Amino acid sequence: MTYMIITGLLCGALLGFVMQRGRFCLTGGFRDMYIAKNNRMFYALLIAIAVQSVGVFLLIDLGVFEYSAGSLPILSVIIGSFIFGIGIILAGGCATGTWYRAGEGLIGSWIALAGYMLMSTMMKSGVFAPFNQQAQATAVMPTNSIAETFGINHWVIIIPFVAIVGFIVFKQLTKPKVVVPSLKPKRTGLAHILFEKRWHPFVTATLIGVIALIAWPLSAATGRVFGLGITTPSANILQYLTTGDSGFINWGVFLVLGIFAGSFIAAKASKEFRFRMPDVKTGINSFVGGNLMGVGASLAGGCSIGNGLVMTAMMTWQGWIGLVFMILGTWTASYFVFVRPRQKAKAQKLREQVTPA
Amino acid sequence: MQKTLEVKGMVCPFPLIEAQNAIEDMNSGDVLVVEFDCTQGTESIPTWAAEAGHTVTNFEQLDEAAWTISIQKR
Repeated sequence: MTYMIITGLLCGALLGFVMQRGRFCLTGGFRDMYIAKNNRMFYALLIAIAVQSVGVFLLIDLGVFEYSAGSLPILSVIIGSFIFGIGIILAGGCATGTWYRAGEGLIGSWIALAGYMLMSTMMKSGVFAPFNQQAQATAVMPTNSIAETFGINHWVIIIPFVAIVGFIVFKQLTKPKVVVPSLKPKRTGLAHILFEKRWHPFVTATLIGVIALIAWPLSAATGRVFGLGITTPSANILQYLTTGDSGFINWGVFLVLGIFAGSFIAAKASKEFRFRMPDVKTGINSFVGGNLMGVGASLAGGCSIGNGLVMTAMMTWQGWIGLVFMILGTWTASYFVFVRPRQKAKAQKLREQVTPA
Repeated sequence: MQKTLEVKGMVCPFPLIEAQNAIEDMNSGDVLVVEFDCTQGTESIPTWAAEAGHTVTNFEQLDEAAWTISIQKR
């Protein structure tokens, strides 16, 4: 138990710290692929996936732990991921993003988190559990592992994937650089690097890949053979708090609490912590978004971390199909939340110029 | 000419979107001062400004989770 508390909290705190300082926001990354035609954060995610994938499969080949991806409820993954994508745009952050922004003092993220935890609990052990179980049992494909489907060794997939990511990174880093203006430095040395300097997204991504990798053996040692996960542990907290059943406590619970703590430490030390109250509209969007995230992640069997970062690294259909539909969900919501209002405002302005009142 | 845009309380990406909208109506050489408190804006706003070719004339942290950035339109 003590081991679980210490390693879970520590791993989470590291993740929260790195994400806060590196401004690692998958929601923003997916959104910007569409509204800003900018793929930087998506490439960063691919780096984190590649680092983790190589490491975890080496550990599996060395016999440190065993992992089976099981079967694939394909319809549930597609629909759930799409709903999750819509939810994270409304909530202004994915599940992990919401945890770490909560640590920055954003009350909107607290609201989103409440909706997310409540709805995941309702889907897992509450009133919607029968519906969720039925969805999980519908349109189930026998194999989830891509390598298993084709009857090939997993390295046949991982090595070309790593090569592609390496090529993308090389192309990105050799592009003519735009100098991004930075804040006037007020600190020096390690304090400057840790609490002030802008972190390159690719450096942040590599660190996140390493943390996602370390999470596997740490978690497996407590009997939970999986890496980073947010949704189930978030629901577990509420399940434990409302039932008092300590069976709901596992490594993942301490991981998510650690994310919150790590982000708080990073934000506080960087003078970036402040309680910030959203306006009514943002508050409502956060709550609705949080609920959609809970429904979506429960149906899909994972959020942007569980499916988008971990199951992708495990080279599973669930991870990659989930990632694609999650991104499509964020684009759909982005159209209605950001793109259309802007087009309308522009059209309005043009009309005013043509017919002066 | 200088224009100040106060977007405190807005969460990403709205500070950036508001800044992009505001600068559209300005003339070349005008300066847009954006005051924001969304942490992620410290990455997205200067990156956008640099990539769009505008000049950042000032960028500093004012207080706990409060920043100001001055962008001169190209």
